[in-house]
Amino acid sequence: MKHKKLSTGTLVALGLSIQSLYAVAIAETEKLSEPKEHSHMHHNHKANNKLSEGTCGSGMRMDMDGMVMHENIDNIPKDCAEISEEITLEIKAGVKYSEPYPGTVFGLDSHSWHVKPCARVTVKFTNEDEIRHQWMLHGLPRYLYPGGMFHIEANGQTTKTGTFILPSSHYTYLVHCDIAQHMEKGMKAQLVAGKGRKDLSSIPGLTEPKFADTFPDKTSTAVSTFRSENIE
Amino acid sequence: MKFLSPLPNFVTLMSQSRYISVFIILLSISNFSFAVFQPPATEDTYLGKVEDFCPKKLITSWRQEQTIEGVDIAASPVCDPDNPYNIAAFVKGTNNVSMATLMNTHLALDTLIKGKDIDGDGDPDEIYIRLEVLELNGFSPDLADPVTTYDIAPGIQPGFWAFVPKHRGMSNKSAETLVANPLIRLPSPAIRVEQGDKVFITLENSHYFPHSIHLHGVDHPFQTTKGEGNDGVPTTSNKLILPGKKFTYEITPRQPGTMVYHCHVQAHTHIMMGLIGMFIVEENRPNNWVQTFNVGNGFVRHSSVAVSEKYDREYDLQYQDIDRELHNIIQTANDSRLLAKAFNRDYNITERIPDYFILNGRSFPFTLRESLVVIKPEEKIKLRVFNAGDQLLSLHTHGFKPTSTHLDGVELKSNAQIQRDVFTLGPAQRVDLELYAHNDGLNNMGPGIWTFHDHNELGVTTDGIYPGGHISSIVFESFLGENGMPKTQGVDMRPFFTAEFYKKQYPVWTLSDDKKHYGEAFIATNKKNQSSDSEPINWTQTLILLVQLIVLITTVILVKRNTGKINEA
Repeated sequence: MKHKKLSTGTLVALGLSIQSLYAVAIAETEKLSEPKEHSHMHHNHKANNKLSEGTCGSGMRMDMDGMVMHENIDNIPKDCAEISEEITLEIKAGVKYSEPYPGTVFGLDSHSWHVKPCARVTVKFTNEDEIRHQWMLHGLPRYLYPGGMFHIEANGQTTKTGTFILPSSHYTYLVHCDIAQHMEKGMKAQLVAGKGRKDLSSIPGLTEPKFADTFPDKTSTAVSTFRSENIE
Repeated sequence: MKFLSPLPNFVTLMSQSRYISVFIILLSISNFSFAVFQPPATEDTYLGKVEDFCPKKLITSWRQEQTIEGVDIAASPVCDPDNPYNIAAFVKGTNNVSMATLMNTHLALDTLIKGKDIDGDGDPDEIYIRLEVLELNGFSPDLADPVTTYDIAPGIQPGFWAFVPKHRGMSNKSAETLVANPLIRLPSPAIRVEQGDKVFITLENSHYFPHSIHLHGVDHPFQTTKGEGNDGVPTTSNKLILPGKKFTYEITPRQPGTMVYHCHVQAHTHIMMGLIGMFIVEENRPNNWVQTFNVGNGFVRHSSVAVSEKYDREYDLQYQDIDRELHNIIQTANDSRLLAKAFNRDYNITERIPDYFILNGRSFPFTLRESLVVIKPEEKIKLRVFNAGDQLLSLHTHGFKPTSTHLDGVELKSNAQIQRDVFTLGPAQRVDLELYAHNDGLNNMGPGIWTFHDHNELGVTTDGIYPGGHISSIVFESFLGENGMPKTQGVDMRPFFTAEFYKKQYPVWTLSDDKKHYGEAFIATNKKNQSSDSEPINWTQTLILLVQLIVLITTVILVKRNTGKINEA
C-alpha cells in the first residue's frame, strides 16, 4: 500500500496540494488574464455567441466520430495583443504508443509540446485504437473556455481536429485522456507555453510519479509466494 | 547487633509504644482505600460528519412521472431516481433522440443504435449496443487517494470494474471533482432486449486488462456470422479482447427470461471485480420499446409490454459480495505488470472472505436512497433477483411471502411455483418473484416499511458492522416521507450516515443509550491524567493519602523519639 509509506501528515499535505492542481492552474490563469479593455470584452461576447451556435451549445461539435468542446478559433484572449504564432500539433494516440514505457498500456506519440503564449494551436488528434480517446487540456481562462478546458474526443480509428488560443501567461498545461485510468496508465502530457512552469509529475519518459510503484526483488520472489505460504 | 537487625528493634519499639492502636487503625483505613475498584468514566462520543439521507444537489423533478421524446417514464419517488433523460435515450436509442435530450445525459451518439423494424410490429428489431469497461476507485500516481471514486457506503471505496454504456466526455462528473460520472457505477447495468431482436453487442475495451463477454443463459450461437467465437470464453471460443480493441457479439435470442452477461477472462477475479450484470430478454409483443439499460438497476421506469400486462412495477435486484483483499489490489500499484501479477498469481481465491455486501451497487444505508421497492396495496410487483456474488443468498422479505415464477430465466409450471419467505440462490442463479400486496396474512401482512435482506447474516454487515450489507426495504407509498425517506420509527439513523460508524470508531448504540450503559470505556492513560484539566479530583482518595502521610511522619518521629529514649536509657 502506498499509503503506508508516508506519514499521515505528509499524505494529507500531498493529497491536498495535488487535488488543488486544477484549481491552482485555473486560478493562476484567470489572475493573469484579468480584463484590461472593455472593447475586448465586447469582442469576447460576440465570439462566444458565435461559438454557441454549434450543434450542442458552448462551442461543442459532436458527431458519430466524437466531439470537440470549447473550440476557439478567432476569439483572442484579452491579455494578448495578437496571435503570436500559428501552430498545428499532429498527435497520435493508441495502445501501440505505450511500448517505449514499460508498465503503461495507453499511449501518445509525444508527451510534451512547446508553444508561445498567445499562440493559436490546432490539434489534429488521430486515435489509432478501436476505442475512444481524448486530448483534454486544463488550465485555460474560464471566461473563454468553460471549466478552463479544451477537449477533443475521437472515437476508434478517427481523426478529430480542434483549435484554441492560449492566453499570454507562461504556463504548463495538463493534457490527458480523462477516460478512467487512461491518464494513470500512460496518457498524460503537458503543453508548455513560453517558459512554462514546473513540469507535471508522472509523464511517461519525462517526469517521476509522486507515488512510485515498488517492484519485487527477483531473488526473493522467483520461488513465488507459494513457498512462504506453505512454510507458514 | 543493633545495626544488623534494626527491624526486630523497630517492632519491639512499636509494640511498646502507647500509639500502637492508632497506628494499626490508620494503616487498615489506608489499605482499605486502595482496594476500591475505579473503572474509567464513559468517554464522550462524536458521530463525525453525518451525510444527509438525501443529498440536496439531486434534481427533485427527476422523480416525477413524465414523458420525454414520447417515452412514458413512470414516477420514481425514491431519493435518487434514475435520470429520466437516460430512460428516454435507452428506450428510443441514442440515434433517435434530440441533441437536447442527449445533452442531459453522459451518453455518446452511438451508445445505443435502434434500427429497423424488421417484422413491422411497431418496435425496432435491430439493436446495436456499445459497452466499455471502466475502473472505479483505482490508483493514481499523482494522488494519495483513489480516483474516479464511487462510494458503496459512507467512506467505503473498494476498487471495481464495470461494464458501462459507452459514454462521452470525462469519466469524472466534472473537472472539479474526482467522483465518477453517474453512468459509471455498479452493478454492470441490466440490459434488456426483445425476444427475436437482432442484437449486436460491441465491447470496446477501454480498460488496461483483457476482457470478454459471455452471454450466460442468453440464447446465442457459438460463432458469429463471420465464424468468430461468440461465447466469450478464452479457452474455447474468444481470443482475449485486448486494451484498445473491440469485438462484436451477435445474438437473436429465441427465449425470454432473466439471464446474465459477464466477463470470462480470468473469470474468478474479473466477475468478482464487477464485470457481471443481468441480461433480460423480454417476451415479444407489438409496439414493445424496451428500456435497453437500467443503470444502477432497481426500478424499471419503462417496463416492457409483457411485464406491464401482469405487473404494476418491476425491479432488478443484483446482489454481490466483496473481498477487500481483491478489490484493493488496484489501489496498491499502477504498473500493469505488477497488477497482472497481483490479480493472476498472488491473489488466492481459496482464501476469500467477503467484507462488503452490495445490492445494486450500494450497501445500507445508501440502498435506501436508490433501491427501495415501493408498492401500494393490491399492487403486483415483479422482482428479478440475481445473485452475482460468491456466497449463498437467502433472501428474506418481511411482511410478504412472494411467489417464484421463474428460475434462471425459465418459467415455472404453475404447480412448481413456490410461495415462501426465504429464497436461496447460489452464485449466478436468478429467481423472478411476484410480490402481491394483498393483505391476507399470507401474501402480505399490511402496509408498512418491510425490510428485505439476506438471512445469511454476513450479508447484513459491512466489514462486520451491523446494520450494513445489502439491507433494503419494501415500502408502501403511504410510508414514504419527504425526499423518498421512509417514515421509519426505529433508531436514529444518523450514525449509519457517517464513515466513522463503519470504521468502528464509536459504540453502535450511541444514540439509544441515554444511561451510557454501552458507551466507550478506556483505561485512563498517564498522558491523559497529566493534561486533562477537567479530570475531577477524587477528594476521598486525596484525604486518605494525606492521612497516610501524617501517619508516616508521626511514626518516624515517634520511632526517633523512642530510639532516643532507649539510647538514653
